[in-house]
Amino acid sequence: MTAALIGFALVLALVLVRLPIVFAMGLIGTLGFAYERGGSIFSERGLKAAMSMVGRQITDTAQDYGLSVVPLFILMGLFVNKGGMARELYAVSNAFLGHMRGGIAMATVAACGGFSAICGSSLATAATMSKVAMPEMRRYGYSDELSTASIAAGGTLGILIPPSVILVIYGLLTETSIGKLFMAGIIPGMLGILFYLFAVRWTVWRNPASGPAGERAGWAERLRALGSVWAVLLLFVLVIGGLYGAFDFEPLNLTFSPTEAAGMGAAGAFLIALFRGGLTLSSTFEVLKETCLTAAALFSVLIGAQIFSNFINLAGLPEALIAMVTAYDVSPFVVILMILGIYIILGCVFESLSMLLLTVPIFFPLVTSLGYDPIWFGIVVVVVTEISLITPPVGLNVFILKGVVGDVSTGTIFRGVTPFWIADIFRLALIVLVPVIVLYLPQQMGALGH
Amino acid sequence: ADYTLTISSWAPPTHGINAKMWPKFVEMVEEATDGQVTAELKLGIAPPPAQMDLIMDGAADASIIFHGYQPGRFVTTKLIELPGYEGSAEAASVAYWRAYDSFLRAADEHRGVKVIALHTHGPAQLHSNASVTSLDDISGMKVRIPGGVGGDVGSALGATGIQVPAPKVYETLASKAADGVVMPLESRKGFKLTEVAQNVYEMPGGLYRGSFAFIMNEDSFADLPEDLQKKLDDQVFGEPLSREIGKIWDEIDAEGRAATEAADGNAINEASSDDQARFATIAEEVRTKVLAEISEAGVDADAAYDQIKSDLSGN
Amino acid sequence: MSVLIQLARRLSIIPVMTACSALFILMVMTFCDVILRSAFNAPIEAATELTRILMAIMVFSVLPIVSVTNGHIAVDLTDGIFHRYRLSRARDALIYLASGIMLIWPVQRVWILAERARGYGDVTEYLSIPVYLIGWFIAVATAITALAMVIVGLMHVFSPAALRNSAE
Ligand code: NA
Ligand code: NA
Repeated sequence: MTAALIGFALVLALVLVRLPIVFAMGLIGTLGFAYERGGSIFSERGLKAAMSMVGRQITDTAQDYGLSVVPLFILMGLFVNKGGMARELYAVSNAFLGHMRGGIAMATVAACGGFSAICGSSLATAATMSKVAMPEMRRYGYSDELSTASIAAGGTLGILIPPSVILVIYGLLTETSIGKLFMAGIIPGMLGILFYLFAVRWTVWRNPASGPAGERAGWAERLRALGSVWAVLLLFVLVIGGLYGAFDFEPLNLTFSPTEAAGMGAAGAFLIALFRGGLTLSSTFEVLKETCLTAAALFSVLIGAQIFSNFINLAGLPEALIAMVTAYDVSPFVVILMILGIYIILGCVFESLSMLLLTVPIFFPLVTSLGYDPIWFGIVVVVVTEISLITPPVGLNVFILKGVVGDVSTGTIFRGVTPFWIADIFRLALIVLVPVIVLYLPQQMGALGH
Repeated sequence: ADYTLTISSWAPPTHGINAKMWPKFVEMVEEATDGQVTAELKLGIAPPPAQMDLIMDGAADASIIFHGYQPGRFVTTKLIELPGYEGSAEAASVAYWRAYDSFLRAADEHRGVKVIALHTHGPAQLHSNASVTSLDDISGMKVRIPGGVGGDVGSALGATGIQVPAPKVYETLASKAADGVVMPLESRKGFKLTEVAQNVYEMPGGLYRGSFAFIMNEDSFADLPEDLQKKLDDQVFGEPLSREIGKIWDEIDAEGRAATEAADGNAINEASSDDQARFATIAEEVRTKVLAEISEAGVDADAAYDQIKSDLSGN
Repeated sequence: MSVLIQLARRLSIIPVMTACSALFILMVMTFCDVILRSAFNAPIEAATELTRILMAIMVFSVLPIVSVTNGHIAVDLTDGIFHRYRLSRARDALIYLASGIMLIWPVQRVWILAERARGYGDVTEYLSIPVYLIGWFIAVATAITALAMVIVGLMHVFSPAALRNSAE
């Protein structure tokens, strides 16, 4: 427990002097692991054990089949951008919402929600949408705070609105129905969009200059704009339809898994961009290069996070936390509140997947033994992991934005994200207090006998 | 306890491996050593194929490996995967350990770690979206099947192999990227196949059996006082542990079967006697091929096979 | 010095092309796999293992470039303070040197693990591609990353001007 807390503190300190996260987490994770296995950070046996773990993490993470969605969805986003589809999407957004203050940011949030329906990963959603939405918002004179924050926050919807990598893993960890988990994510996901829209409104109400109103478009113009987004819709229908079996008929039988959907989406976007003359050899190369560089940075962080979380795991922090929670003889609801508190604190430092892997095995038995619904807890866990993605100082979605946009500081993004973070806390409170929001759809599904 | 071993494991925490097998291991170790040695379980430190490296270098003291995840490294372990054995996972695991002791050990495929148990899951069956009632239905299906013996059987049946890690099986079936999957009945519960593959085509004895080992770091074992080492070697490691773990595989298979029977729209279709006879011929061909591979690894494959076969029919 | 930087920049086209090809092949392969499987019932059986290998090639080819072009994800909350006290250069030098040096141990271990896989004869499931080749590749790419980071760290100490000019 003490070792884990010291480890946390050291990672924070190193990260704050700008050591890249992979090196901060990797170094402390390695030394901590050596300490746990050998009794001292200088123990030869401990260091050998730690290095073996690190060596395997490096080779295995880069070869994790499930993670192939990350580069492919980034690639899809960039091709969508090159094909002019992003511009069209924003022309539509602008036509319908642009006349409102903060309208494009609101459209961005809605578009993130739409993209989440084809993408199972929050990081990929944020990365793609930042490629697509950021230049547009800048073009319309939006402040960097609002622009980046609406993408970073909107991107978190990727793991709540199905399909969702995280929900699948939760389902497997806890033997909960993945189909029902997916259904359960829909309403909270919609609520997420709605609350983020309020966050945008609040931001522009506080500072009108951050999201200037555009001109109001007439209905003729709106319809014309709508007509031009056929390419986006085509791609959307291809990916969604393939995922949910819409083309599962003779002789085509076209179906694919969420992992393959990323590759299909990328290839589809590539073909559309090519067909529309939006791609040259050199611009294709630029897109590929940018994807590779972004992916390499992301995989590095994942490797660092895994190494560090292995140390925390060995150090017994999860067990210590549960001991703390059970030590107090309190009502179940207070236990839930304590767990949420712990999640929000862990969310400061952890990346979503490591947080889930570390905590669910510990908290799940406790929560279900208190009589709470496993599906409901799954959604609560995903919402708190979503929050962790935009909680400083280590908010991966924020870093993605920083990585893709470049000339904006993480401080700026975290400042902009604050109202969205508060919106998330409100949503979390609502879900905790009114569980039927989560459970209504899966219960309907149960009634239909699927 | 004076000594606490760290176990590194994979699979979901609720899976029988973690919920039952490791607790059983801890129970046996504590009992044999009067509580002087115990162990604690840590999940998710590394993916399954990394476990042997981790144990070799002491990143944990004990772990479980599935031999099929490391093609090329393990050949003789295919012996227990062959289709056509009769008997429970318990009996097969005991027979497996005995064959290892007298024959397979010579191939030294687990060099660098101490093998403390060998076991096999129950017979693997075909789980599919569409109802399969005859061997011919399998031809042309896209089936997730592990490599090794399972792969040989799949191609002999005319199925197209699809390679997906176990945790991805659900989404692969849900999205119809695969038509079916070959796994033991326990996965109906463990991987929620009751939702995405309502039908089971059951071949008595199974299409293959998966091979697992419990392994331990050699230094961690050497660190224990000699009397404790002896107690563990005599009372826990080897046949006793293999037997208990096999028993648990049988137990969770039964749970998977019960879950299937309780689930709406789920069905288990047993292969007809004609198909069983046809499959026996296919199994024969696969066996000849695999036994030849095992012989090449420097083991008397036929003798080892005969021993397992007679151990199992004697049970 | 700037000649060297120019040369490094020219040479960096090789790993970038490698990574881009791997990514493009990955995309085309997934597409073909899905189409072949759906319409012709003939999936690419080795698609999964090829996906894994292509990802490793993609990530590790460009790792040296990401590492020396400020591409790693880092927290810049304290940039202002370092700038104010004119410590940015010392900090950057230290970070590059420390990061590069701390990679030496993982490089060694990845190499050892690859050699071990070679000793055991580990291969991939369908194509029987030797696993150690991937390990070698990752070890070499990480070693180049370590070296490049140390060199950039030293340049921050000894010839910051060359580094600044080349950044433009
Ligand atoms: Na999603
Ligand atoms: Na965070």
